Amino acid sequence: MSSVISSPLFGVFLCVVTFAAGVWINRKVKSPVANPLLIAIALTVILLKVFHIPLESFQKGGDIVSLFLAPATVALALSVYKQVAILKKYFLPIVLGCLAGAITSMVSAFLLCKAFSLDEKLTASMLPKSVTTPIALEISEQLGGVASITVAAVIFTGILGAVLAPLLIRVFRVADPVEQGVAIGACSHAIGTSKAVEIGEIQGAMSGISLSVSGILTVLLSLFLQ
Amino acid sequence: MGILLQIGIFFGICLVGEMIAAVLPLPIPASIISMILMFILLCTKVLHPKHIEQKSNFLLENMAFFFIPAGVGIVEYYDSIKGVILPLLVVCVITTVLTFGAAALTVRAAIRVQKRAVAHKDCTQKKEGIQ
Repeated sequence: MSSVISSPLFGVFLCVVTFAAGVWINRKVKSPVANPLLIAIALTVILLKVFHIPLESFQKGGDIVSLFLAPATVALALSVYKQVAILKKYFLPIVLGCLAGAITSMVSAFLLCKAFSLDEKLTASMLPKSVTTPIALEISEQLGGVASITVAAVIFTGILGAVLAPLLIRVFRVADPVEQGVAIGACSHAIGTSKAVEIGEIQGAMSGISLSVSGILTVLLSLFLQ
Repeated sequence: MGILLQIGIFFGICLVGEMIAAVLPLPIPASIISMILMFILLCTKVLHPKHIEQKSNFLLENMAFFFIPAGVGIVEYYDSIKGVILPLLVVCVITTVLTFGAAALTVRAAIRVQKRAVAHKDCTQKKEGIQ
């Protein structure tokens, strides 16, 4: 049994099975909260706990699945290329939206951490939470944050964005696909973008642009923080 | 084009992206650099969409799937955030909502201003034409 669990195939297989279950439940429940990714993560965590399977064994296969994250981000380039007319037409609004998102994210994280009287280390870990993990880690490190808290906050924010996106679109009455895409990418980076891709082609492309522009802008903004 | 070749193109671009990221002074992730690289290759017609379409569609359609291990990985960090988990969750939720709103409303306002500017330009151009 232990040889089965320690094989990388185990992790890959578990991801596929739990995601399939997530998609199936999502179709049955038809609520955005029943997000397939969220269900798959929860199921995997529960299964690992119940059967006392160490996380390291799962991650042997998990690493193989994660390997496809970079190519998946690259695939967004084709969506962006197909929507290049929209990108040209609304270039300035898109960049301004990303800038507003990046500033709002950092300022609100800072103020809220102060409001909850969290210490400086935690605040520094939370500041870059709306951008993709490698950028967030670098900024957090420079500001004296804790890497593990930053990673957890970034991933949680991403999942949150993916789950809440349909709801937020209704709450803020966002009808325009460009607005939708930019907002999703700005608040929840690549994980949110995976949801934007499902919502529509334009949304996916705009979210892809937004996650890159917001990320780069956050790097530039963080240079002023030191 | 063969699916194997498409996979090769994707991994090749990612590899070049990682090389560029390693020498770049700013912490821009390799995946974003690779994405920009792919975009340039498409714009300069070095690559045609049909060269990468199949693989692209596969990756985009299953994008959420690739995040499962990252999400499961949070469990590993549970011990380090146990004491402050509630305020951290609240901070995450509120900032996500605010960031979404700020980005969406800014895009909306900017598009409106831009349209008005364009309309104004068209209008003055027409007037000039009449005169």
